[in-house]
Amino acid sequence: MSKIEFDRRDFLKVMGVSGVAATVAGCDMPSYITSEEGAEEVIPYLSPEEFVIPGVGVHYASTCLQCPATCGIRGRVREGRVLKLEGNPKSALNTGKLCQMGQAGLQTHYNPDRLTKPLVRKDGALAEATWEDALALIEEKTGPSSGLSGGRFAWLTGTISGHQSVLLKAHLESLGSSSHFVHEVINTRVWQAVCQDMLGQSMPRLRIDKAKMVLSFGADFLGTWMSPIHFSADYARFRSGEDRGMLVQAEPSMSLTGANADLWVALRPGTEGVMALGLANVLINKERMDASALPAAALELINQYGVSRTTKMTGIAGDRLIRIARHLKERSPSLVLAGASAAGHVGGYQSVQAAMLLNILLGNIDQTIEASGDFALPQLASVSGGTSDLSRFADAAGAGKLDAVFFDGSNPLFAAPNHLGLTEKFDSIPFKVAFSQFMDETTAHADVVLPMASALEDWGTHVAAYQGGDHEIAFQQPLMEPIYPGTRSFGDMLLALNSMRNPGSYDGLEDYYGYLQSAVGSIPGVLKGEDDEAINVSAWNRILQDGRLQMPVDTRAFTSNLSMDDMDVRDADPAFPYYLVPTPRGTLYDGRHANIPWLQESPDQISKVVWNSWAEIHPVTAAKLAVEEGDVITVTTPDGVLEVPVYIHKGIHVDVVAVPMGQGHEDYGRYARGRGVNPLKILQPGSDAKTGELALYGSRAALAATGRAGRLIKMGNTETQHGRKIVATITAEQQRRNEGDS
Amino acid sequence: MAEETHLSATKDIDEKIAWAEINSDVLRSMENPRMGYWLAVVVSICMLMVGVASEVYQYNVGMGPAQLNNPHMWDLYISTFVFWIGMSHSGTLLSAILHLFHADWRKPIYRFAEAMTTFSLMTALVFPIIHLGRVWNMHWVIPYYSDRGIWPNFRSPLVWDAFAITTYLTGSVLFLYIGMIPDLAICRDNAIGWRKRLYTFMSVGWRGDDRQWRNFRKTYLLMACFLIPLAVSVHSIVAADFAMAIMPGWHVTSFPPYFVSGALYSGCAAIITLFVLLRYFFKFEQYMTLPILDKTCKLTFAIAMVWSYLNLIEFASVWYGHDIPAKEVLIAKFTGPYSPFFLGMLFCGSVLPFTLAFEKIRRNPMLLLPISIFLNVGMWLERYMIVAPTLSLAYHPWSWDVMWPGWVEWGIVFGSFGWFGLLFLIFVKVFPSVSMYEVKEMVYHRRRVVYEDAELRAHEYKKGASGASSAAPATEGS
Amino acid sequence: MSLVRNFIEDWSRYRRSIDEGGFHEYEHMWGMVIDLDKCTGCNACSVACYAENNLAVVGEDKFENGQGMHWMRIERYWDEPNIGNERVRDTQEHGASFMPMMCQQCNSATCEPVCPVSAAYHTPDGLNAQIYNRCVGSRYCANNCPYRLRYFNFFSYYEDSWPSPLDMQLNPDITVRDKGVMEKCTFCVQRIRSTKNAAKMEDRQVVDGEVQTACQQTCPTSAIVFGDLLDHESDVHKLWHKHQTRLGTTKQKKDNPELRGYRLYEQLNTEPSVTYLERVRDV
Repeated sequence: MSKIEFDRRDFLKVMGVSGVAATVAGCDMPSYITSEEGAEEVIPYLSPEEFVIPGVGVHYASTCLQCPATCGIRGRVREGRVLKLEGNPKSALNTGKLCQMGQAGLQTHYNPDRLTKPLVRKDGALAEATWEDALALIEEKTGPSSGLSGGRFAWLTGTISGHQSVLLKAHLESLGSSSHFVHEVINTRVWQAVCQDMLGQSMPRLRIDKAKMVLSFGADFLGTWMSPIHFSADYARFRSGEDRGMLVQAEPSMSLTGANADLWVALRPGTEGVMALGLANVLINKERMDASALPAAALELINQYGVSRTTKMTGIAGDRLIRIARHLKERSPSLVLAGASAAGHVGGYQSVQAAMLLNILLGNIDQTIEASGDFALPQLASVSGGTSDLSRFADAAGAGKLDAVFFDGSNPLFAAPNHLGLTEKFDSIPFKVAFSQFMDETTAHADVVLPMASALEDWGTHVAAYQGGDHEIAFQQPLMEPIYPGTRSFGDMLLALNSMRNPGSYDGLEDYYGYLQSAVGSIPGVLKGEDDEAINVSAWNRILQDGRLQMPVDTRAFTSNLSMDDMDVRDADPAFPYYLVPTPRGTLYDGRHANIPWLQESPDQISKVVWNSWAEIHPVTAAKLAVEEGDVITVTTPDGVLEVPVYIHKGIHVDVVAVPMGQGHEDYGRYARGRGVNPLKILQPGSDAKTGELALYGSRAALAATGRAGRLIKMGNTETQHGRKIVATITAEQQRRNEGDS
Repeated sequence: MAEETHLSATKDIDEKIAWAEINSDVLRSMENPRMGYWLAVVVSICMLMVGVASEVYQYNVGMGPAQLNNPHMWDLYISTFVFWIGMSHSGTLLSAILHLFHADWRKPIYRFAEAMTTFSLMTALVFPIIHLGRVWNMHWVIPYYSDRGIWPNFRSPLVWDAFAITTYLTGSVLFLYIGMIPDLAICRDNAIGWRKRLYTFMSVGWRGDDRQWRNFRKTYLLMACFLIPLAVSVHSIVAADFAMAIMPGWHVTSFPPYFVSGALYSGCAAIITLFVLLRYFFKFEQYMTLPILDKTCKLTFAIAMVWSYLNLIEFASVWYGHDIPAKEVLIAKFTGPYSPFFLGMLFCGSVLPFTLAFEKIRRNPMLLLPISIFLNVGMWLERYMIVAPTLSLAYHPWSWDVMWPGWVEWGIVFGSFGWFGLLFLIFVKVFPSVSMYEVKEMVYHRRRVVYEDAELRAHEYKKGASGASSAAPATEGS
Repeated sequence: MSLVRNFIEDWSRYRRSIDEGGFHEYEHMWGMVIDLDKCTGCNACSVACYAENNLAVVGEDKFENGQGMHWMRIERYWDEPNIGNERVRDTQEHGASFMPMMCQQCNSATCEPVCPVSAAYHTPDGLNAQIYNRCVGSRYCANNCPYRLRYFNFFSYYEDSWPSPLDMQLNPDITVRDKGVMEKCTFCVQRIRSTKNAAKMEDRQVVDGEVQTACQQTCPTSAIVFGDLLDHESDVHKLWHKHQTRLGTTKQKKDNPELRGYRLYEQLNTEPSVTYLERVRDV
């Protein structure tokens, strides 16, 4: 902060302006002084916006970009600063609620480690440059005169949708390229593929609230899966009243959803599909359910997975399997979900397919799985990311097929397993431009770094991949002026890039805001009537106030194309007896929130560890290794070694070691750097045959004690209530008896 | 001759000491500090500086470096505060209570015990102040008229503490001073230079005439009567800091008597320590005699037993009660991470005093010095064991935490001993640490009034001598 | 004369509070219900509280020392409930038990009488308030809190918790506390104040749902219900009533002992304003 030095004349000037302000406005309008690099500026509230009242907070609607779910937010703005984010009650997706990552969006925005100036690589190191230089360099390398065209140019982004997606595609088209890699570690691609193949719609609506029982194979729908806040509200309805639903979660290590399950089942990783088929087998053969909806091939497959075989493969007791099947039959409609731990295997597609088959057998289609249709404007629809794009990108880069890459909203060098060798391949690309807010691992390897405005300083539209009910376009509007004048809007950059390729293509539009207004105006029936040319300003303001624009829902019915492939369960390698599970958590997510102090200090939901990585193991494993909580173990896979302190609890399969993802950053600011380990790095090669998604849950590991005690910082020093009535539990039967009317 | 030495070992004081000898012995102790004295002063100042440096650091940084944390909001500061308050009870016991009981063997040793009372109170007073997070606002605890009309919370035991300690400090300073006036007059008559001026001022025109003596006696008796309930209440109120809380292990009805007995206990042990040291360094063998030491030890032993008994009934009432958290705290004291300290406290506080059951040990200053120090270590541990285990382990298991004090805390506790030592060292060179006029009284009584010492009689009886006088014991002169 | 009258008035008020169980001559009586069955332990409330109340991030070293400042903390216990007749297995069959813990705003608070300077006091709305300016930092209140929900500023956290521009986020409605001050959950008193002021300006009563605490507002499952217990139309009153929890007693008399409402450590007679609804598990 530079010191403000007044001399007498300046002081008089200040007085003069405020005096004028007071005269003109006729009352005491306050003025304030901002100072930036010694320049003083007097901003009188000459004609203050009527909603700007000093001391009174005003709420503005926008959209949360902390994860791909695109919940609606409202920011409380006071004296030009956004102070607090709250859920937008107008959003059908999150109905006024927000998760901790969303709350912490403020600290992404106000992060002290944000990039403030463009950087250009000179002599091997990134050096500060002006925007003009940086853009000139980009024009030189990717402009019309560069000769770059076709597949030699690529964009690498995170999940992207709305008008940014439209402009990005236009830019790709202008270069004649179709290489858009969309990378997202925590994704639902396999689920979407299965739904698309079997039901004809990739994102059917999941009615957890309508279900009387939810059986989830590792779908952490309260934490990280698809749209957690939307599902949390559904879950609250699912849990209340006379028909309080039952939640059964089967997964290798306990997720937040698993921690809330009525029955949590520790499942051998990769056998989710086997369990689903085993349940189908029990339902058909023991419970005599009508299986006429299933194709003969599927029935044949189901018959191969009798109780004893299922028990042997999954490690679940037979009586338990039968009991779950009975519950599923009794509590109709039910809902079977399959999440990351089911999908993240070589045979992940088949596992999810088996879960969907169970849904069909139980008659849940059109009951708890509702047709959602496609988004009315397909060009705006979400381009969901996945890890298959990461390996495709690595292949393309490794083969020298790329001359220039632009990347935004994704940190592939952090997330890529060692076996992809992405860092070397990435460095071999001649020209890499990062549109980035932070100096993360990928940005540090870029040739040009363009500092982007934060999500709370920028304009944009977003379309959720999973729409909770009504289809909406989510509007992102700035909640305050940019903190750093050196940053620019991503939308403006896209416009600039397009103009660079096709000069004059977006003339007449001042900036991305202008583009958005006209683009939204071009959606029929939104901003102007049939024959009205002018944009209806009050309708536009209405949209910005709501932060949401309702779109007509195309209720296309499901098409059924049932098929079933056999399970692909891999046997254990005796040298690596444990399964390594890189746990996703709604705290640091895939590592993108590791630079947020609130989230670093927010205790993990299961282990209550802060500021560090840990490995979860079962007490039996701990006894085998002779380690206690906090002792450091090594987790070894053929692709690398992690040293990490252990947390021991019973919410994990005996043969599993779970290390949360998110830590282990080499870069990414003061709060993230050099903290913990990154389990993604040592994952073994392997991918789902159908979708190409990396088998994140398919790695095998060997564990060994190091004999050292590590630093495991936890909130709370006890694991039990010591006989006190702190959290009391009653049975659902009692609850139903007493709260039937609610 | 052998007969004589034995007698001297059984008599509280040798009645053949001349008046002038008493004066000169005591006055000698106030002069010519030797090398060892200066060394002790330097060590005390260094210790004090460590404490001051720690406090300056804490003042600027906050309570964090003391390693205090969420369950452990109090720790060494408060336990050491209680310890020093406890130490302060010795002087009152010896001068006031024994004065009322006419136990005249107290006379040669009560002066330094009273000084100890005052100085340990002054040390104790520091702790509740520095343990405040915002020391600079400490005066808010005191009820003074303020424009804002805000008063302290009279329901809070900490406010009672502030009242009780300041009252007790005032009382004990007055008591010490009043008891010293005749001696100060003696000093005045023998001093030159700044000492003359000081003693002249402080002896407030004492001439030793009849009216002055009569008023002096009355005032002294009155102060003694006033001080006894004050001493009991001060430690009861300190006990209320804990007993008024609802925490298991603190919420104990028997805490006030337990604290008072513990206070007397640690005070007596400290008297023994200082007794041995003064007797050796100032060559006060003639006044601080072994029989007096023996009696002090007996008193200490008796109080140790009372303290142990109160400990036992506390354990028993917790054990047979149905307060589960309190029971958990008790079990944790015996078995948890603090158990070495707790068992150490029980050993030092309840087992070690049994050594005082032996006359040989009671009359062996070289042995008593370490024993008395260990008794006080036990009493310090007792206070620590009251504060820390309860905080580490209370109702809400989520917040259970074991915590060890940080360097700032240790520094300040260490410094407090330097502060106390420095005050005491200054005192012994400026003021007579043995009451001259009362020793003279004692000698006078032994010489002139036929006074039957029970032990002497027993001794004579053992010898089979029949010369025991049958004259009725006269009332000891007031 | 007024002394005598005051005394008689106080005495009759005191008698009435005994007869009518928790009667107070309060304008509002803010209370809360937390449904432990709906709470998923997601921590959103905790981070929302950090954002709303200028809570300092203390960093790993201080957190390890137990000097963290989480006013709203989610505790997680692994106890397996004693329901059904299943044998003890080696997995965590019924998931985890989550307990959102923040100041219970006791009506007979143990922290209040021990504060030497009355920095902890009871507001006329039934809130257990902490006056930061008055606090001298004796920490007696925290020692006497059976819930251990008071947090002390062991350092001047502002010095390094909000490196610029993180400090721009600080809520100007409340202070940033300096070292030596005790702090705790306030039921978002700044929101209560501004809502009350707004209602007063419009000359009307505060409507139920108008004041939302930050934790309640963000709770994805709406497990937290906050409101005025004196307002018989409020959700929080209805829930207290439905689950038969009431103020002014150490043991709730319930027609139906299976009703889920309970207050934490009720037997200590601290009179918390927060009712928890028991967790439910299907067997």
